[in-house]
Amino acid sequence: MSTITRTWKVNGKPIKVRAPAGRRLLDYLRDDLGLIGAKEGCGEGECGACTVLIDNEPMVSCIVPVGQLADGTEILTIEGVEKKRAGRLLQQAYLECGAVQCGFCIPGMIISSYALLPKNPKPPTQAIRPPLSGNLCRCTG
Amino acid sequence: MKTTEKINIRFPQTLAEALRLQARKNTRGTLLAGGTDLMVQWASGTPPPARATSLWNLPELCEIEVRDDDILIGAGVTHAFLGEAKPIHRHLPALIAAAATVGAIQIQARGTLGGNAANASPAGDTAPALLITGGDVLLASLDGTREVPLDEFWTGYRQIAARPDEIILAFRLPKKGSAKERFRKIGARKAQAISKIMAASRIRVRSGRILSAAIALGSVAPTPIRLTQVEALLTGQALTPSLVAQAEKLAQTSVKPIADIRSSAEYRRWVAGRLVRDALENL
Repeated sequence: MSTITRTWKVNGKPIKVRAPAGRRLLDYLRDDLGLIGAKEGCGEGECGACTVLIDNEPMVSCIVPVGQLADGTEILTIEGVEKKRAGRLLQQAYLECGAVQCGFCIPGMIISSYALLPKNPKPPTQAIRPPLSGNLCRCTG
Repeated sequence: MKTTEKINIRFPQTLAEALRLQARKNTRGTLLAGGTDLMVQWASGTPPPARATSLWNLPELCEIEVRDDDILIGAGVTHAFLGEAKPIHRHLPALIAAAATVGAIQIQARGTLGGNAANASPAGDTAPALLITGGDVLLASLDGTREVPLDEFWTGYRQIAARPDEIILAFRLPKKGSAKERFRKIGARKAQAISKIMAASRIRVRSGRILSAAIALGSVAPTPIRLTQVEALLTGQALTPSLVAQAEKLAQTSVKPIADIRSSAEYRRWVAGRLVRDALENL
C-alpha cells in the first residue's frame, strides 16, 4: 500500500486528500467525504451510476484510483451539480418527463447530461444518445 | 480494505523516472494507464500486483505529432483525445471510428491507445485499426527506443512483444493517403459492449483495380489478425462481384474463431466474411 496526499477542489471546495493511492475515487467520495450521490452499480465501469466530472469530463469514479488525480484536480459530483442553475433545470426536466423510476442511475444520468450542455446547448435527440450511452437504466431497459 | 488499496502505486512525473523504475526488478510495477481494464480486473477477482507504475498523464506519452507520411500518437493519448484531434481524422479514419466505439464517453475519457494495445485482448477495438496502417509500436527502455511492427506486436493470447522493462512510447502510423478506410464493430449494442467481432480495412483502388489491401479482424483468433490470404487474393485484381464473393468465402474459411459468452464460432465466421464484403462494397 502507498499513501498519497493531494489537494483537490470537490464541488468548488478545497479538500486535502490523504488516502491509499489505489482507493477508488467512488469510495473516497462516499466513505471519506460522505458524498453518497454517486452510486455503485456494477463497480466495473459499465453502468455509469458512479459518473462524476473530473476537470469537466465525465468519468466513472469506480475505476479511478485517487492517486492518479493530481493536485488541483476539480471534481464535481451530483451534490455540486444540483447547486448550479443548469443542474437544477435538468433535475426538474427529468421529473417533469417522468424519467425516474427507481432513481439509482439518475445521478449519473444528470452528470452526463450536464457535461453535454456546454458542448451542445440545444442538442437534438440524436445528439443526446451517444453522450448518455454510458449510463444504463435497469428499470426502463 | 478494497483490493486495489493494497497496491503500492508509484507516480513517476517523467518518462525517464518511469523507465528507471521499470528497469529494476525490485521497483518494477504493473503498468497502469487509465485503468479501464486493470482496475476492473483487480476489483473482480484477478489478484492485484504488489506494485504498479502509473503512466496516467505522463507528458511524454500524451503527444500527437503529424509528419509528412505518418503520424506519431503517444501511448497515453486517450480515445476521447483522438476524437478531439481533428487534424488527424482524415489520415486515420478507421482508428478514429474505432476509438469512438470503445465503451462509452466515460471510458473513452480514461482509456488510452497504449493501454488498449497492452491489454492485448483479441476484442480490443483499436487493434484492427492499428494493424491496417502497417505501422510500428515504439518501445522505450533505459537502453533506448526500438520499433516493433504492429504485425509482430501481439504474440499470443494477451501477450505482447514488449519486455518487462519496456514501456510503450507511441505508435507510428502511416497516413492512409488515397486509400479508403472502413471500421465496423459488431456488438450486442452500440455502446458499452465488448465486441463479438470487428473489422478494419485500408484499400486502395485505381481505375477499378485494387492496388493494395489491408484487412484486419478482431475477436476471431487469440490475437487481432491481418487477413493476409484475403489481401493476397485481392491485390492487383479488378474489383468485380465475383472477386468480392471469393474474398467473402476465403475470409470465412481462413479464420478460426472460438465460441464464448458473446458469440458463437459459426456466427463469427459468417460475419467475418460479411465484413470483408462490406469493406469491398463501400469503396
